Amino acid sequence: MPDKVQLFATCIIDTLYPEIGFYVIDVLERAGVEVEFPPEQTCCGQPAFNAGLRHLSRPIAEHFIKTFENTDGPIVAPSGSCTAMVKHGYRELFAGDEAWFSRAEGIAGRIYELSEFLVDYLGVTELEAHFPARIAYHPSCHLLRDLGVNSQPRTLLEAVAGAELCELPYANECCGFGGVFSAEHPEVSTAMLDRKIRNIEESEAEVVVTCDAGCMTHINGGLHRRREGLRAVHIARILASRPGAEELFG
Amino acid sequence: MTSPFRKKIKEALADKNLQDALDLNAERRLTAIKAAYASLPQDLQSVRKQAHEVREKVIENLGDYLEQFISNAQDNGIIVHKAESANQAVEKILDIVRRRNARVIAKSKSMVSEEIHINTALDEAGMKVVETDLGEFIIQLNRQPPSHIITPAVHLTRQEVGEIFERELNVPFTEDISELTAIARKELRRTFLEADVGISGVNFGVVEDGALCIVTNEGNGRMVTTLPETHIAVMGIERLVPTMADLACMLYLLPRSATGQKLTVYTTIIRKPRQAGDNDGPGECHLILVDNGRSKVRNSALRESLYCIRCGACLNACPVFQEIGGHAYVGVDGGPTTYPGPIGSVVSPGLFGLKQFGQLARASSLCGACRDACPVDIDLPKLLLRVRAGMGSPGDYDLGEISVGRASANAPPGIRLGIKIFSWMASSPGRFGIGQRFAKTAGRVFYPSSGWVSLPRFTGWGYSRDFPRPAEPFREQYLKKRAASIPLREPKPSGERESAEALPPREQPPLRQGSELPVQRFERELTALGGSVIRCDSKNIGKNILAVLELNKSSWIQAWDRDKFPDGLLEELNNSGIRVQTEPDPDIKVGLTAASAGIAETGTLAISRGLGCPQTASLLPEIHIAVLNQGDIYESLTDVLNLAELRESSYVTLISGPSRTADIQMTLTIGVHGPAKVIVICFN
Repeated sequence: MPDKVQLFATCIIDTLYPEIGFYVIDVLERAGVEVEFPPEQTCCGQPAFNAGLRHLSRPIAEHFIKTFENTDGPIVAPSGSCTAMVKHGYRELFAGDEAWFSRAEGIAGRIYELSEFLVDYLGVTELEAHFPARIAYHPSCHLLRDLGVNSQPRTLLEAVAGAELCELPYANECCGFGGVFSAEHPEVSTAMLDRKIRNIEESEAEVVVTCDAGCMTHINGGLHRRREGLRAVHIARILASRPGAEELFG
Repeated sequence: MTSPFRKKIKEALADKNLQDALDLNAERRLTAIKAAYASLPQDLQSVRKQAHEVREKVIENLGDYLEQFISNAQDNGIIVHKAESANQAVEKILDIVRRRNARVIAKSKSMVSEEIHINTALDEAGMKVVETDLGEFIIQLNRQPPSHIITPAVHLTRQEVGEIFERELNVPFTEDISELTAIARKELRRTFLEADVGISGVNFGVVEDGALCIVTNEGNGRMVTTLPETHIAVMGIERLVPTMADLACMLYLLPRSATGQKLTVYTTIIRKPRQAGDNDGPGECHLILVDNGRSKVRNSALRESLYCIRCGACLNACPVFQEIGGHAYVGVDGGPTTYPGPIGSVVSPGLFGLKQFGQLARASSLCGACRDACPVDIDLPKLLLRVRAGMGSPGDYDLGEISVGRASANAPPGIRLGIKIFSWMASSPGRFGIGQRFAKTAGRVFYPSSGWVSLPRFTGWGYSRDFPRPAEPFREQYLKKRAASIPLREPKPSGERESAEALPPREQPPLRQGSELPVQRFERELTALGGSVIRCDSKNIGKNILAVLELNKSSWIQAWDRDKFPDGLLEELNNSGIRVQTEPDPDIKVGLTAASAGIAETGTLAISRGLGCPQTASLLPEIHIAVLNQGDIYESLTDVLNLAELRESSYVTLISGPSRTADIQMTLTIGVHGPAKVIVICFN
């Protein structure tokens, strides 16, 4: 009987990259788990929390908790920053409110980022994925530093047939997204993005893989504006790929 | 409609010199720091944890520790003044310098003294105050505030420094860094000798001993706390550690985090003013304890920011700081703050006002590099988020305020509106679905032919990035169809959870395994720092000293009293024609001292002030020769800090090699104010 997991698609993937939601389900099923999707889910509340508007984040977070409280099994999110928000941000958000705090802790104990879930929880590293390209991994900040997840995505990518992994110079440097930061401080955010793009170019990778759609949107959004080829791809896409899969960007 | 902050950011981004300087700083620092951490005798994470706990304990019990510290310091003869505000601190300092009829004041680096703007006050009172730290000296001449907590002139190239010296000191232009350093050395040597008052900062106050610890590299810190008749130390009230063992813990981390050194060249511990028997030192030692908002911060949600030991590591790790530099961090009205970077974006609003400086906390992508870099493990992203939520007022230490964020968050109006709409939608699945459909339709209407949306510039995002057009949402597609099923795989054993940064492999710790003798380690460490060690039999000490003097063409030395050395040593030197005296003289090139102890792991000498032991002998001359008994070499810093003999001394300096600086364009120069050569005659 396979494990059952609850998928948290995240608001950005739900709205802008629905195909990634399906890649995630595909990957999880291939890894041997049954995937449920509580359809009332919306968002984890991070954008409002990061903006400092905690009273606007609360209702969203409460809705998140209510959505997943009535479900069983691990919660898997294809996003380091959303996972970090639920695991750590909710402690700040619900501090001082004992009832909600303990409900939040109950949920926090169940949530995993996708690559973390596959490697640490399931012990799965081989998904029979096939993606012949030169790829580099961009470690998104919350995933890397908040959650301490770094080897897991790399392990998964190393097992992808045909993929040639190369190192991204200064890989651990932030891409400059930072959520509302990218809108409030576009100049610095862009300077940081320029650096990241330079480093991607230097790595000569065809594709840069990330576990966070925010970073992906930032990098591709900048490349598209410059009329340059898109490079950033979510890890679920790579792991879900099979021989003969459709063109990556089209 | 650009705010002063955004304007300064844009200027910084467009400033090529600054960009090059910041890149160089980040590169050099981060490499050096990584290597230095690898040399820690214990695992980095456990030392950080220990350091965090020490500082947490201090801040939690600050009142009690302060009381004890003040009492012990007073017992030592240090005159303690408590200053609640910056103005009070300034008043007390002015009072002291006026009573002294001071004309020239020599200052060594102190961030808290910048905070209280003491230089302006002293200038206005008609006194000449000279910054003697090389970086501070440069920016003082350039009439600028520091742009970094540790390297104040990091934003200047050597050409710019050459121009500044040419303009302000009337010297011919040079951009050669050792020449520039030599110019500063000559200029400041005059200042040190004529100063009536020395003002210094304090890195740590040690509660159990009532002592002040100051770490420096150039020798100016020793100068200003030894030569003038009056010493004023300025210290923030939060800079305490309970015991000497706790001091050792901090000293393992501070130099490594700040400059990638195992120890700074000079680690000075001041207990008392000049005692009856001491040959030199200030007759009066004052300590100004500055609050200036720290108690308020302690009572606020930003309390943890007080753990900071002002190492600057977070500045060097921050990708935003790397782009904009320290001077860009300004308040709403465009005014500067003493503290930039990640820590500055928390303490500036905390100490100087949320309204003015809260905006700094929004200029962060919350990447967390600062938290990783912090030797005391301060959770800076958490604190930055609290500032954004408008927290940090006295009394809001208890986080129970759920209404926080309504009025007090400093989100700009556009963001507030956007988030309000988003929040309304995202708190209900029905509204969320409607919102998604609306976005999809709007995208189709305004951008029909492209999968991408070019938002207008005012959105911020649209400044330089496009945005994918919203498609049919996942939830709707999911509910319409199922994803394909794939067969099971054999689960493999799970891997280790890894910490974020992989550190380079640790240096061999030879001592604990007994494979390298302390004296061998001592020699290796000191040689790596540019010092030299001559090992010999006790009867050959004199011969070796004479050889050094011959080599350096010197026959006149300043030395400690004869009874500090092995019997007959000074007589032997006399008999060979060497002129020996205890008093300093500007023309003496060599100083000879004995060392009370040595530290093997860092190649360090412990030099204590006392009867017949002038500090100047190891400070003023170009060459310092120290006689050290091999049996007095201890393994670690902790061992030496706890030595009874040193804890009774009124003033001890731990010397690790020749004086040095990298304040100009991050380039190392040996020989600044303190001796340029350190030679240890190590006998058994």
